[in-house]
This record gives sequence, structure tokens and C-alpha cells, in this order.
Amino acid sequence: MATNRLEWGSLMSTDRKHRAAGVSIEHLRKEFGEKTALDDVSLEIEPGTFLVLLGPSGSGKTTLLRCLAGIERPTSGSVAIRDQLVVGPNTFVPPEKRGLAMVFQDYALWPHLSVAKNVAFPLHKSSRTKTEAEAYVGDLLERVGIAPLADRFPNELSGGEQQRVALARALAADVGLILFDEPLSNLDADRREQLRIEIATLTREAGSTAVYITHDQSEAFALADRVGVLDRGRLVQLDTPEAIYRRPKNAFVARFTGIAGEFPVTALGECGPEHLEVALPFAPGQTVEALALDRPRPGVDSSLFVRASGVSLLAPSSPVGVYGEIRDVAFNGRGYEHVVEVGAATPLTKIYSPHRFERESNVRVCFDPSSCFVMDPMRGN
Amino acid sequence: MATLELDRPPTESRPPEVPSSHVQRLDARRRFSLGGVLIWVALALLIIAPVLSFLVLSVSPRMFQQGPEWFTLKYVAQAFQGYTGRGILNSLWVSSLVSVLAVAVATTLAWLIHRTNVGGRRLWAILMWLLLLMPTWMMTLGWSDLLRPFGAAQALGIPSTFLYHEFFGPMGIVIVLSAAALPFAYFIISAGLQGVGPEFEDAARIHGASRVRTLRTVLPIIAPALLSAIAISFAETMSDFGVAFTLGYHSHFPMATYALFNAIDNYPANFSVAAVIAAVLILSVIPPIALQSRVMRSRSYAVLSGRTRAPRRREFSRSGRIAATGAVALFFFVALGIPVLGAVGGSFIANLGIYSASGVHLTMNYYTQVFHPTISGKSLFAPLLLSNQLGLIVATGTGVLAVVLARRLVASRGGWSQRVTDVFLLGSVAVPGVVLGVGYIFFYNLTFISQHVANIYKTLPLLMLALVASALPGQTRFMSGPVSQIQPSLAEAARVHGAGRLRSWRTTNLPLMSRVLLWGWLLTFTKTISELAIAQILYPPSQEPASVTIQSYLANYDAGTGTAMTVMTLVEMLVVIAVALAIYRVVTPKGWRRIGWSGVRS
Repeated sequence: MATNRLEWGSLMSTDRKHRAAGVSIEHLRKEFGEKTALDDVSLEIEPGTFLVLLGPSGSGKTTLLRCLAGIERPTSGSVAIRDQLVVGPNTFVPPEKRGLAMVFQDYALWPHLSVAKNVAFPLHKSSRTKTEAEAYVGDLLERVGIAPLADRFPNELSGGEQQRVALARALAADVGLILFDEPLSNLDADRREQLRIEIATLTREAGSTAVYITHDQSEAFALADRVGVLDRGRLVQLDTPEAIYRRPKNAFVARFTGIAGEFPVTALGECGPEHLEVALPFAPGQTVEALALDRPRPGVDSSLFVRASGVSLLAPSSPVGVYGEIRDVAFNGRGYEHVVEVGAATPLTKIYSPHRFERESNVRVCFDPSSCFVMDPMRGN
Repeated sequence: MATLELDRPPTESRPPEVPSSHVQRLDARRRFSLGGVLIWVALALLIIAPVLSFLVLSVSPRMFQQGPEWFTLKYVAQAFQGYTGRGILNSLWVSSLVSVLAVAVATTLAWLIHRTNVGGRRLWAILMWLLLLMPTWMMTLGWSDLLRPFGAAQALGIPSTFLYHEFFGPMGIVIVLSAAALPFAYFIISAGLQGVGPEFEDAARIHGASRVRTLRTVLPIIAPALLSAIAISFAETMSDFGVAFTLGYHSHFPMATYALFNAIDNYPANFSVAAVIAAVLILSVIPPIALQSRVMRSRSYAVLSGRTRAPRRREFSRSGRIAATGAVALFFFVALGIPVLGAVGGSFIANLGIYSASGVHLTMNYYTQVFHPTISGKSLFAPLLLSNQLGLIVATGTGVLAVVLARRLVASRGGWSQRVTDVFLLGSVAVPGVVLGVGYIFFYNLTFISQHVANIYKTLPLLMLALVASALPGQTRFMSGPVSQIQPSLAEAARVHGAGRLRSWRTTNLPLMSRVLLWGWLLTFTKTISELAIAQILYPPSQEPASVTIQSYLANYDAGTGTAMTVMTLVEMLVVIAVALAIYRVVTPKGWRRIGWSGVRS
């Protein structure tokens, strides 16, 4: 659809990159009665960045987004958008003056307005004439694939179509900062994947800064330029998806971003500047190299955290690896995911292999040092 | 492509900046809600002070110079004896019986109309609203005009004298009050039934339950609605004044509300006994309403998610459908048709209710008397105009206050203020109009109040305030349901996408609430026009509302003119409803009319 892209591009502001908003949050705190939802959160978002805030339920990610939007009033701290202070001591700029758009978890489409009117809502302050606005909305709807539904009402649309309307409305605002509040959580798996790609593409094409919250780490890694991990109101780590995955700051981040298994280990010695050799308690005499994200301290237990991507399965006749037994196997389309018993208290899960190993069969399990970390298991708790 | 709403002049498109004028300067004082204080001051003057100061008299008449005792239970004992005692007892048993009868019939009707293929469902829904709007004194009048000797039934050659004597007693009172309480029960149970999707029945049947066991399994889902309907029917019946003032008085069957009115209408007025009766009325109504509220809060029958499918209707056979439709039609004929026909028929019968040797004759004379009276000189024109003015002001004022209060009630982060508002409004629903009226007479006649707060005793503003106070609690609760079901994210989305507070409310809340606002307004408007208790107690000299004028004709044995005035008032109310609905249809965009009561597609 090259033509569409051209029209789309011509309709968007020419200085789009300049419009992308930078955001600065400093020492933000939000309390609801005695509950602290946000605790001293500080972060900088560069213009044009796609930031994903990742965290479990109750971690404060929605509160942070709503404080940014102006829907919630923080207890203390400051927020600046485009270098303009919008939250600060004695300052609170209401949402409509902050120059942002938002895609809501429940879509928040007005049921009494048609699709076209929902999308046109943010245009009431724009310089476009009525005809230009209609054309603009028509192109946006075309772009998100729901142009034939312009005159329908929200209740006549499917969940995926409603989400596209919400996305089109946010893009229509053309304000350089779009907030996404778990926009895919109400959709089925197929639609989620499809819309995730469209959100990433359209938002980047629009040149907007995006702040997107989710509790799904795969969604976060797929979308983000940078990921912020929140735990109990605190921003635990803010980094690129790769860094979050490869060098989690603490056990919480490691666990929340997906591990195949976690075992108590004893360090035997150093292997280079960053790695340790650790003895596997379930495989006497077997050792594994692991990235030392925490230096084991005397009297403090350490754990080995293993990413699924760092575990490979070999035939039982292989000379390397520890012995394991397949407990379960599931076909996932491009291969097989296995659950492997290695003699530890808990089995390794989600171990991928292009080959199927049958249940109760023996295998050899190999660990990639780059996907194994040694950390204090209590750090971050 | 749909046309777009662009209601702002074009401006240069650029990244929004934040001018200093848009930055709200906050200080600690903003956290102290000025709005909340103003609301409570208004509620104190409207309801709390008049009612509480009046109730205090029941045990401490000296506090307001109504007797020598600082504390006494003498009036409590006095209130439970003789005429007033019988009135209290009668009200209690009649209300209990009426609440059970009303809920039984309402449940049957709700099931037939919402869960079967009975014919004329739209018509029945409209008629249920008309039944809700019909005041009890009008119903009483219609029945008595029909059944009285030489009345409408006799004009049609139907002997009715034996029924007339039965009607003027507990039976008639129970019939009229049941018909009046029924719409309240019906709307609550309908909501409960509509929320119960077929999946519950399907799940029970699939897992081997018989029809009876399925019913036993599914019925508890609407149990809260049934309990709620019983509570509200009881409360409505206990606080009714129209039947007590007309049918109860004429049939020598005292009821609590009339006994209260009687206590202050006699000379010398006995405010202390009246206060005891008022306390009994309030205390008897609070428990069922509180129970209803508790049940509805803890175990809402609206337990169902958005995945719930539309309820399945039971398909009657052709003959079954005719029978069911006939049964519903018969009900409406008895509850609504008979009183209306009785009143309309009676208004055309010369010498209505008076023996005439030459038989029954039809006449238009009463309608001539309505606006050009030659006998008493009291035309309906000025009172009806006054009632309409009162209705307009009271309905609009109540609507605005009710929206504000409903929003406070459903505010998500409820502090003590919201909880107190909730409990207070709940209690206020239980305050009958007659208690409020007498409370106003007493409170606003106090020297301190008339000299330092508001000197409005015996004026129209006092009547207006009392009518607003009477309508406000019910109206607020009527609106709080729909308000609570509007997702906050809709208004938040408007704000985030550039709409200010006013535009956000105008483009989001107003359309979603438009229908409930309209019906709430119409309900208050018509109830104000036909209101009797407060009007009878508080009307200023020579400024009678229509209901008082009509009652004065009926009390002075000019039943024909009184009936014609009643019919004209009823017609006028219906015309206003029709015009308001027509205007709503013409003026509002299509999208507004697609929205149901609770902000969802109707």
C-alpha cells in the first residue's frame, strides 16, 4: 500500500521528529491512603523512544501512566513533558493541556459516537477544515484497516476493530506522545500479535514517543526500544530489552522476564572477569559457568538462574551435559517445548528444541554460560 | 463518510505548549473540598435541620418551646393509643401485605414481559411508566368515581354499590397501594431478570438438573432483586399520603401519614405526637431500605460479565401467547384502565354520585367549571399554571443537585464524605413527604431561622425547597445507578484527547446520561404537579397548587368538578411527557438515542 503510505505521510506533520515529546519524571510518588502505589520513580524518555513499562499487577505501572496522563495527581515528585513542567510543587496541568494521546485498556470508545466521530474527537483544536479533517480521519481509518466501518457505532465492532478505532483516535491527535494502557490485554492471541505489529509500525511512523504498559514480557521485548521494570511501585531497572534479558538487575527482574529454572548453587571459583564456576547440586561432579551478576558473599546463598534460551537438549549418548528426563512435551508450531527433570526440586520448563523428545525419555541438558546468572535470590524481594 | 463535529475555529497546529494560565496553582486548601461543604450546607437546610428539629419534639418539646418538658415519653405513649395508634398499626400491616402482593404480581409481569414472547411488550413498558407517574389520590378518585352510587359503572348499567362499600375500606386501600407500589418492584425485578443470561439455566440443565432444580438454582441469582423490591414497596406504601388522605379518611381507616397530618391540622396542633408518628414512619422504613442497600451492594444481581448473552425468551404456543397477553392486558386494565376510565367517565356524569330520579345524564358542565367556575369561583387555570412552574423549577433544581450528589456517591475513591452521603441519602428516602412538610412548617417558623437564616415561612420558595428536598434522595439514587455504570475511562479519554472539563462532560457524560436525565426530570416534574402531602401542608395563602384545589373541590362534595380537574391535570401531564419525548427525539443526535439507561446499547 505504497499510495496509502504516501498519503499518510503527507497528512502527518512534516516536522514530526521535532514533535516527538521527551518526558522527564523525577522522584514521583503516589499514595492511595496508606498504600504506596509509586515510590520515588525517576526516569527520562528521549523523544521518539518506544518505552515499555513492564510489571506484574499492582506494580504501579498503570498508576505511573495515569500520572503521566494527568488522570491521577501524584503525591509528590515532578513530571515534565517537552521540557514543560506539568507536575511539580504547586503545579498540576490538567490532561487536556498536556498534549498527549492515549489508548485505553477498555478502549474507552464513546458508545454514542460513530467510529469516524470517535476518531475525529481530538481534532477539535486542529487547524484543519472540516473537509480536510474528514479526509484525514478517512485516511487514518484506511491505515488501521477499518475504513468501511466509519459510520458504525462501537458496539457493532469486534474487540480487534474497537482497538483499531482507539489506536486511530490516538494517532489522530498527532501530538507526539502516545500512552498505551495494556491495549492488547482484551484480545485473543491472533489479534494480539497482529495488532502489536501494527501499533509498533504506526507509532514509529508517526514519529511519536510511546509509553506502553504491559505485564507480558514477550510483548514488552517485541515492542520496546527501552523497557522499564516496575516492582511494588519502584522502577527496578530501565534498559534496552537485550540488557534486561541478559543482565537482569535482580532476581525479581530475572524471574519476571522469564526463566527456565532456578537452583541453589555453590560457587567453586572465578572463570574470567564476569563469570563463576558453580557446582550443580543435582548433578554431583558437574559444574557450569555462569554470569556473576552478584558476587557470592560468605554466608549468603546464591542461586543459578537459567534462561530457557540458554538450555539445549542433546541425545542421551552425547558426551556433554547433565542427565535429565523429559516430563512433558508440547508442540508450539516452530518446534517443541519440553519440561525436563534434572534432579532438582523443580524441573526446567519451556526448553525449546526443533526435535521432539518423548515423555519419560532420557536426554542430556547443556547450559549456555551467557544465559545463566548467579544472583542472591533474595535481592529484589 | 460521516460528517464530523468540528466545534472550534481553526488554529495553527503545533505542539501544545503549556501557557502559565493553564497551570493550576495548587495549595493545601484545595484539598479541602469547598463543593463538599456547600453540598452539606444545602442538605442541612433542605433535609437534616427541618426533620431533626421536628423529630426532637417527640421526646423534648421544651427544646423548641412546644411544651414544659425537657425530656418525656408521654407523647410516645400517646401516639400509640387511640386514633394515631390504630393509624400506625394499620400502616404497618397494610404495607407488609402490599409489599408481598406487589412483588408477587411484579415478578410475574416482569417474567412475562422480559422472558416470554407475550404480545405488546413495548406498550406494557409504557403503561408501567404511566402507572409509576399516576399519583395514588388520582387512582383512588378514579375507582370511587367508577364504583360510587350513580357513578360511571352505573351509567354503563353495571351494578357497583356492593363493590363501592368494599372498596371504601382496607380492600380498596390495599388494591390502590399495591398498584402504586408495583412499578417500583417491577423495574427492580426486570433489571434482575434481564441480567440473568441463559447460560445459568443451560449449565444447570446440562449438568442434569430437572426443571424444578434448575429454577431453584437460578432463582437465588435474582433473590437480591426480590428482596430489594419488597423493601422499596414497603417503604413507598408506608410513606404514602394520597390514599391515607382520601380513601383512608373517608372510609374511617386511619393510616399513619394521615394521623400525623391530623395531629398538626387540628387546633391546637400537637407537634410532639406528630413527631412520634414521624419517627415511627422513618424508623419502620429505614431497616428495609438499609437491608435492600446492603444486599444490593454485597451481592449484586448484576453479576454478569460482558460475555453474558441476551436472555432467551420462552416461546408460548399461539393459544398460550394469547392467554398470557390477555392476562397482562387485564392487569393493566385493572390497575390503570379502571381508575382512568372511572375518572374520565365520572367527569361527564351530571350530578355525579347524587341520586337523580330521572337516571344518569351526561354533561360537559364540569369541564366548563374547570376554567370558568361559576359556583365556587376557583378556576384550575392559576393552580395548574403554578403547579407547572413549581414542576419546572423543582425538577430542574432536583436534577442538577441529584447529578452532583450521584457523582459524589459513585466517586471511586470514597472517603468518609461519600459514605456519609450514601447513608444520609438512604435515610432520607425513608422520610415521607408529610414528615418533611410538617418539619418545614416547624423549622422555618422558628424565630431564629426566620430572623437570621431565611424568612420564607408561608411563601412559595419554602414550598419549592420542600418539594426539592422530597424528590432529591430518590432522584439521586435513581441516577446513581446509571452514573456508576459510565466507565470513568470515557471521560478520561476525552480529557486526555484535549477536551476540558466542560467539553468532556458535554460530549461524554451528557449523551450517556441524557435518557436517564430526561426521565428523571419528567418523573420529578409530574410527581411535583400531582404531589399532595407537602402541597397541602405548605401552600402559601391564595397560592394553591392544582392538587390542593382539586382536593378542596372533592372535600366540598363537588366531585364532578374535582374529577374533571383531575382529568385535565392528568392530560396536561401526559401532554408534557409526550412533548418532552418528542423534543428529545428531534433534538438529540442518533447516537444519544442508541444509549440505554446505563450507558450501554439499549
